[in-house]
Amino acid sequence: MPIIGDRVEIERKPKLGGGGPGKIPHRRGYGGGDDGDHGNSGDFRSREQRMRRYRVGMTLCIISVTSIFVLLTMVYVFRMGKGRFDEDEHRWVRDWIPITLPYFQLWTNSLILLLSSATLELARRSMIKKEEFTAMGIVPPRLKRDLPWLGITVFLGFCFLAGQVLVWNILRAQGAFLASNPSRSLFYILTGTHAVHLVGGLVVLIYAVAGRLLATRLESQRIAVEVTGWYWHYLAFLWFGIFGLVHFAKG
Amino acid sequence: MTTISPAADSTNRSFLRRFFFTTDHKTIGQQYFFLSLAAVLVGAWLSLLMRIHLVWPKAAIPFLGEIKPENYLAQLTMHGTLMVFFVLSTVPQSGFGTFFLPLQLGASNMAFPRLTAAGFWTALTSFLVLMAAFFVPGGASGAGWTQYPPLSALAAAGPGQGLGTDLWLVSIGLFCLSSLMSAVGFLATTTRHRAPGMTWMRMPLTCWSWFVTSILILLAFGILLAAVILLMLDRHAGTSFFIPGGLLVSGKMIDHAGGSPLIWQHLFWFFGHPEVYIAILPAMGVTSHLLSVFARKPVFGYKAMVGATLAIGALGFMVWGHHMFVSGMNPYAGFAFSTLTTAIAVPSAIKTFNWVATLYRGKIRYATPLLFSAGFVSFFITGGLTGPILAQPALDVYLHDTYFVVAHFHLIMAMAGLFAIFSATYFWFPKMFGRMMNETLGKLHFWITLLGAYATFMPMHLLGIAGHPRRYSELTGVQYVAAMAPLQKFVTVAAVVTLAGQAIFLMNLFWSMRKGPEAEANPWECGTLEWTLASPPPAEGFGEREVEVNHGPYEYNIPGTEKDFVMQDSPAS
Repeated sequence: MPIIGDRVEIERKPKLGGGGPGKIPHRRGYGGGDDGDHGNSGDFRSREQRMRRYRVGMTLCIISVTSIFVLLTMVYVFRMGKGRFDEDEHRWVRDWIPITLPYFQLWTNSLILLLSSATLELARRSMIKKEEFTAMGIVPPRLKRDLPWLGITVFLGFCFLAGQVLVWNILRAQGAFLASNPSRSLFYILTGTHAVHLVGGLVVLIYAVAGRLLATRLESQRIAVEVTGWYWHYLAFLWFGIFGLVHFAKG
Repeated sequence: MTTISPAADSTNRSFLRRFFFTTDHKTIGQQYFFLSLAAVLVGAWLSLLMRIHLVWPKAAIPFLGEIKPENYLAQLTMHGTLMVFFVLSTVPQSGFGTFFLPLQLGASNMAFPRLTAAGFWTALTSFLVLMAAFFVPGGASGAGWTQYPPLSALAAAGPGQGLGTDLWLVSIGLFCLSSLMSAVGFLATTTRHRAPGMTWMRMPLTCWSWFVTSILILLAFGILLAAVILLMLDRHAGTSFFIPGGLLVSGKMIDHAGGSPLIWQHLFWFFGHPEVYIAILPAMGVTSHLLSVFARKPVFGYKAMVGATLAIGALGFMVWGHHMFVSGMNPYAGFAFSTLTTAIAVPSAIKTFNWVATLYRGKIRYATPLLFSAGFVSFFITGGLTGPILAQPALDVYLHDTYFVVAHFHLIMAMAGLFAIFSATYFWFPKMFGRMMNETLGKLHFWITLLGAYATFMPMHLLGIAGHPRRYSELTGVQYVAAMAPLQKFVTVAAVVTLAGQAIFLMNLFWSMRKGPEAEANPWECGTLEWTLASPPPAEGFGEREVEVNHGPYEYNIPGTEKDFVMQDSPAS
């Protein structure tokens, strides 16, 4: 997507060729025209800085969340192979009972999550467009009414959570409770942890939706949507990882 | 939470805004400093109680009475937890790091100020939750700072294993969150908020070590958080991850079956070993920094130091198994962990060599911070040399549950870390509080602590080699242990003297905070950016000033310069 605002903003600035006054090594984010403002002034570049900062933060969060899920996967595999010592028969028996998954509901949830990923991407694009027009001081032409993609994403997020609750209810109706077997425990823990992380994403998205009411700057809304977008797609990816694990490693 | 613009005048703000809703990294750094000070006082008090109990088991402590075995275990647990989490991982990283990382990089605040503030308040909550465990029925947890199940997983297993252990787990869960928040801020600040010209290779080694430590925190604390949640589920939701079947507790068969305590050990030490480096890497960074400043020489082998820091960070994730040699692991796995552990000696030796080489033929200024840094190197060597011994499975099997291990980790982690904290305190005190600490008292404090610490921990090696088991509250009936009583008594006396010596530090600290001579901007003639600001730095940090870095961090005694040091933001020559 070509960034229109970029060109408009940069032309206002005096050009300092060759990396500024010659003392500053030319590096991405510092060379050129705005050295030394540390993001304090409200010009375009420092807004980009702010966005980059949040992106770095989000990448770090994703790394940390990944470490949690890697650990849970390791426990899953480890626990699957463990067992208990049978006192009567004097031998080790595996106590892992394969889980019966409600596939229809799980696939429906997967579809909902994928769809929400797509709508969030659309929301991000329409938001960028809107911000560019605002930056140029133009009221966006309303040739085509944009759907409230962000609202739809939040709605789909809630649908996914409701779907997960449904999955847990189906399992409970089967008599598969958290404590009944390690395969059940880990299914609940994996999906539950995923749901908790999704709620975190939803909170930020709701903040962005409510931005109009809270009179948040468009820029903050855009950062929230952009950065949560990465997180949201990552959670969708993670969901398929979990789904794959419980499907292929049933034990 | 209200956002305060950093430029707001600090004097015009109310108490709540200045200390509670603040997002100023300097205030948050100080808050961490005082949190750790509170933790270290409690932790030291507990160690005193334990030492007295080991020598005079029947002694009645004022207000507490006689120490029962379960009290001893609770004290042991809380001493370890407080010291490892709230002192050694808090003050060198979150305390000094939050205060000085932005200043050394030429930034005016952390990347996510509100996240950093939230990190501190979570840490404080976590500390209060942990302290609450002393006052609940049954007292604090007695399962050790490693909380091995099944002892930690079953409420019926002991007096402190009920609510006390629950509080421990909640507290550490909160501490994980706090550390993660803080680490995200550190990493984003380091990658995105360096002043123009502050290239990676111009960063002070303190910043490098905070950076690598934050990576370790990011990868390790998530693991501990998940492990703690699983243990909580084992305790309260009836799952069996860590609890094996067929256990009789107080004559009753437990319901759990099929879990493995070894999973916990793997998870815990996968966090626990990086944790050791989370505690010691910032200390190494501070030491490298200070030795260069006070030897008036560039750090010997700056690039090698950076490489060694990264190598230690990377290797730290591959050696957790050496804490589990006695768990019945496959000898081949033991061999692999042993080899990797020994490999850490290489980057550690590079660092030690470079520290000594930095001092060699320097124009050394014997100020208190230098003495404590030299003390760090000394403890790092004495404590480090027992590392390769314990890294051998065959030797570790004998020494693992003896005082030898206690001596090892107290020298290399506790004393080395503590000496780095002291040196950083004496060094940065003028910048943090605007006044100088008393040098005479500082030197007195150094000598008492150095000799006292060696007198306390060196004999423990002998106790360990002679086979004195650790963790037991009382071994009076055991004949070969009884023969070691005079040495134990000596250790206790040394510990009491050392701890009493810390009163000098506390007096010096609080007296200097109010009455010390006012510090100039750069009392130590150090070249890094925090010293270009007034002492203490104004609330807005660098404010509108355009920081431009043209020099490396350790340009001391460079030929052709006017003074014997070059500030990092001096014009390029």
